This record gives sequence, C-alpha cells and structure tokens, in this order.
Amino acid sequence: MAYLYYSLTLVAIYIGLTLLLHLQFGRLGIVNFGVVGFWGLGMYAHGIMVALWGVPWVLAVVIAALLVGAFALALGALILRLDGQAVLVGTLAFATIVLHLVTTEKWLTNGVVGLGTIEYPFDWGSSTEPVFLGLVVAAIAVLYAYAVRLDGSFYGRLLAAIRDNEPLAHGLGKPTFRHKLVFFSVTCAGMGFLGALSASLFQFLTSNMIAPGVTFTAWIALALGGKGRPLGAILGVVATVGLFDVFIETFAPIPPDYALLVPNIKLMMYGAFLVAIMMYRPLGLLGNSQEHR
Amino acid sequence: MWLVTDSVFIGLIQAAPLMLATMGFTLIYYLNGFINVAYAENITFGAYFASIFQVFLGLGFFASILPAVLFAGVFSVLTFLLVFRPAAARGVGPTEMIILSVGLSFFFRYGATLLFGNNPYFLENANPQYWTIFGQGITDTQVVALSLVAVVTIGLLLFIYRTRWGEMMRALANNRDLAMASGIVPTKVSVLIWFIAGAAGGLAGIFFGVFALVTPYMGWNMILVIIMLSIVGGIGSVRGALIASLLAGILTAGITLVSQPLYADIVLLILFIAVLRFRWKRA
Repeated sequence: MAYLYYSLTLVAIYIGLTLLLHLQFGRLGIVNFGVVGFWGLGMYAHGIMVALWGVPWVLAVVIAALLVGAFALALGALILRLDGQAVLVGTLAFATIVLHLVTTEKWLTNGVVGLGTIEYPFDWGSSTEPVFLGLVVAAIAVLYAYAVRLDGSFYGRLLAAIRDNEPLAHGLGKPTFRHKLVFFSVTCAGMGFLGALSASLFQFLTSNMIAPGVTFTAWIALALGGKGRPLGAILGVVATVGLFDVFIETFAPIPPDYALLVPNIKLMMYGAFLVAIMMYRPLGLLGNSQEHR
Repeated sequence: MWLVTDSVFIGLIQAAPLMLATMGFTLIYYLNGFINVAYAENITFGAYFASIFQVFLGLGFFASILPAVLFAGVFSVLTFLLVFRPAAARGVGPTEMIILSVGLSFFFRYGATLLFGNNPYFLENANPQYWTIFGQGITDTQVVALSLVAVVTIGLLLFIYRTRWGEMMRALANNRDLAMASGIVPTKVSVLIWFIAGAAGGLAGIFFGVFALVTPYMGWNMILVIIMLSIVGGIGSVRGALIASLLAGILTAGITLVSQPLYADIVLLILFIAVLRFRWKRA
C-alpha cells in the first residue's frame, strides 16, 4: 500500500510539472526543454539544506523555490528574447549543466552515490504518506485552479497575444519581454518547488534521477493531452506515467527477467508517440482548445 | 608551456571525430533549417554498425569502417524519407520539428538499448601500432582517424563550395522556391546531403567508439555540444563549424588535463548560453 501512495504522489508531481509546462508552452509559447534542470535544482537545493545543513523543512522549500526562480530569471534574461529554437537549446543546456554539476561536485551532492536521508516534514506513522500525498495534491489543485482561471482573464489574453504575435503586443504598448521573463521565472520556481517536495518523496537523491527522461516525460504528457488546456496535462500524465509507472508496475504480472526492459520500452514508445503526435495531431489527442482562433 | 602543446596535440586528436559530426549536423541544419536531435543516434548507430561487422562478422577494425559508414548514411536517408520529409510536407514548424526529432531520438536510443543491452561494446584495433611524433606517443588508429578526417573535411569543403551539387544545395538552403524554379529537384539533393551527413556522423561515431566505449547514450551525450558548436560557428557555415569544433576540442583537452572532462562540458555550455544571444537572430 505504501508503494501505491509513492506512485500516486509521483503522478501528482508529474501533473504539476506538466501543468507548469502547459503554462509556459501552451499559454506563452516558451519552449522549455530544461524542466528537469529546474526541478532537479530545487530537489537538490532542498535535499542539501535539510539533510546536510539542518535547515527547517518549510524554510528549505521556500529557499529552494526562490533559488530556482533566481536562476530562471538570469537564464531567461539571456535567452528569452530569442526564438523558440534558441530557447529550446538554451534550456536544454541549462539542464545539462545542472546534471553535470551534481555529478562533479561530490563534496556537496555525493554524486552518483546518493544524498540522504531527507525525511518527511512530519512523522504520523502509517498516515504520513497519505497526508503527504494530500499536501502535494492540494498544491497541484491550486495550480490547476490558477491555470483554469487564466483562460478567460485579462492576463491570460495578454499572454496569448504575446505568444501569437509578440511584435504586435509590443506595438500596443505591452512590455512583452518583462512579462515573459517574470512568468518564466515564476513558473520555473514552481518547478523548483515541486522538486523540493519530490526530495522528501524520494528521500535519497542520486544524479541519475535528474536525467533528461523527466523533461521528456512531461513533454510527451503535454503533447498527448494537448498543450492548449489544463485538463490535457492531467489526462496526458495519467495516460503516460499513470499507465506505465503505476498501473503496469503495480498490477501487471511481468516476469522479473523482463521487468528491467519495461523502462526502456516505455521511453521508446514515448518517442514513437511524440513523433506521431507532432506529425498528425499537433494539438494533442483531444484536438483544438476552447480558445477562439 | 607543456599544457598548451599537450592541449593542442590531444585536442586535435579528440576534435577529429567532433569536427566530422559537427560538419554533418551543420549540413542538415543548413539545408533543412531545423535542429535534428536524432542525429545523435546516427553517431551511435555508426559505432554499433562497426561493432556488428567486427564482433559478429569478424572483420578487422579498418575493414569494418567502410560498410558501417555506408549503413549509417543509408540510415540517415531513411530517417529523412520516412519521417522528416513527410513531417515537413505536413507543415510542421521548425520548433515542433525539434520536438519531433527529440521523440525520434528517444525512440532509436531506447530501441538500441533493448537490442544491444546496456553493456558497452568495445570497438578495438586488434594490433595497435605505436609511433612517436614530435615527442608525443600516437597510435595508428589515431593517425588513421586524423588523416581520414582531414581527407573527408577537404573533400566536403570542395564539394560544398566548388561542385555543382554543392551549389544546388546552397541554392535550396537560401531560396527554395527560386531553386526549384530553376530546375533543381529538392528530393535528389536532400537525399544526397542526408547520406553525406549520415555517413560523416557514422564515421565520427566509430572514432568516438574506438577512443572510448560504444553505448546507446554516446550520441546523446555529444549532441548538445554538437548543436552548440554548429550555432556558434554560424548557422549553416561548414567552415565555421570546423573552426568552432577544433577550438572546442583544444579547450576540452586543456581543461581535462588540469581537472576532469565534465568541467570542460560545463564551461562550454555556460559559454554557449552567454554567446547564444549574439549569434542568434532576434525572435
């Protein structure tokens, strides 16, 4: 049962990452391929503060999110004026730098050996995991409500204007670059916040946890569900992480000899899906968003 | 002083495959205008093709280079004809095309992991010869790598800037409609370019593999540096790509000599993010 709570919390965290990606790419058109960099930075910052320096849990979460936001602000200032391809490569480079630094700076992160143990913020015996799951779900619910409300709001329309025609929005007197920079930093700080929560879930951090597969999973979920609406993020994550990491690993009878193949088959199929979706259903399986075009 | 000479010497040898890969990547980028992340698997598969010829068919290291390179070229053409050309015909934009190519890259990478397993393959030269040049030790594999890269590079530059096919490629890259109106068939030129780029990537993979190990992740670990060098060298400029990868090889060798190779990657990537906004047109 404890394992199921772990899996469900993981699904909730992926839904959060995909929702943030929906905000960045679907709403504002920022192609962030460094999701794992921001998430992993938050995770390691939190883990180091809690496990090594003894910072209180809540304070560590706040500092981790602020730190990630600051890094996103600096990165965004350098690359957000450029077009989608440059942003993609720039964010991917950022995530790779984070991964490399975690591997090399063994004195701080313990590298591939692992950093731990990061405890839950409270210890209520057998109800610790369900309550933590509830905490994560509550955070995601707030995020979801924000994403839905953004749909018809003035700010949402401003973001859509910047996404669809930035020179025009700029010409109408909107400070487009500043809006992009602030929105990008805040949503990246959200990824760092989720990373800090994940640190408690994993309890023990190793550098292979922040491999590009995390970014890729969030992207395939967003592409499957459709980038245009918040519900797509939930459906996409349930159809990918929910199906492979929870349903198949928990319930499907896979012989132990083949169990090691499952993650490889999973990522291979994600790849094939992503190619097919980009080619035939660029708006996701659900089709067009509610927005009037 | 020894640091400079050693960096240049080791850097030249290490940059040899990097130059090949960057040139091949740049060709596709230049002609089609999008970043093909699946080029990473072209590099990986070049090394695996060579391993297959060597391990299963018992060819020698040097004898397995040619068929493996041809296979890598054909593989590249197939990805173009089966995936990228139909996608372009459906109007997939440049940014979406990168996302698509990342998907393709994951498909091939984890497909290769399923087929060959996670254990590395060893591509090796059975009886290596050691020579001494300018007081530095060098093996015959490295000499062959360097001379092959030199030959391929000069051939490629002549091909692009001196022959009719190269002219057709540059015409297509600069103004597709005008090139087609003057009777250039885009598919023919594209197939040829994707074959050359794939073959160059495969050859690069073989040398990466023989200097280190053949694993499913070898291409992915290189591709970001390759993309970066291609952009820094001036998008679509094969000469620029050449110079950028040469400098990167020497810098990497220098940093590796005083600390560890991952720091070289980190320095290159940070430099890249800083330089990106000067080398890229504004959105």
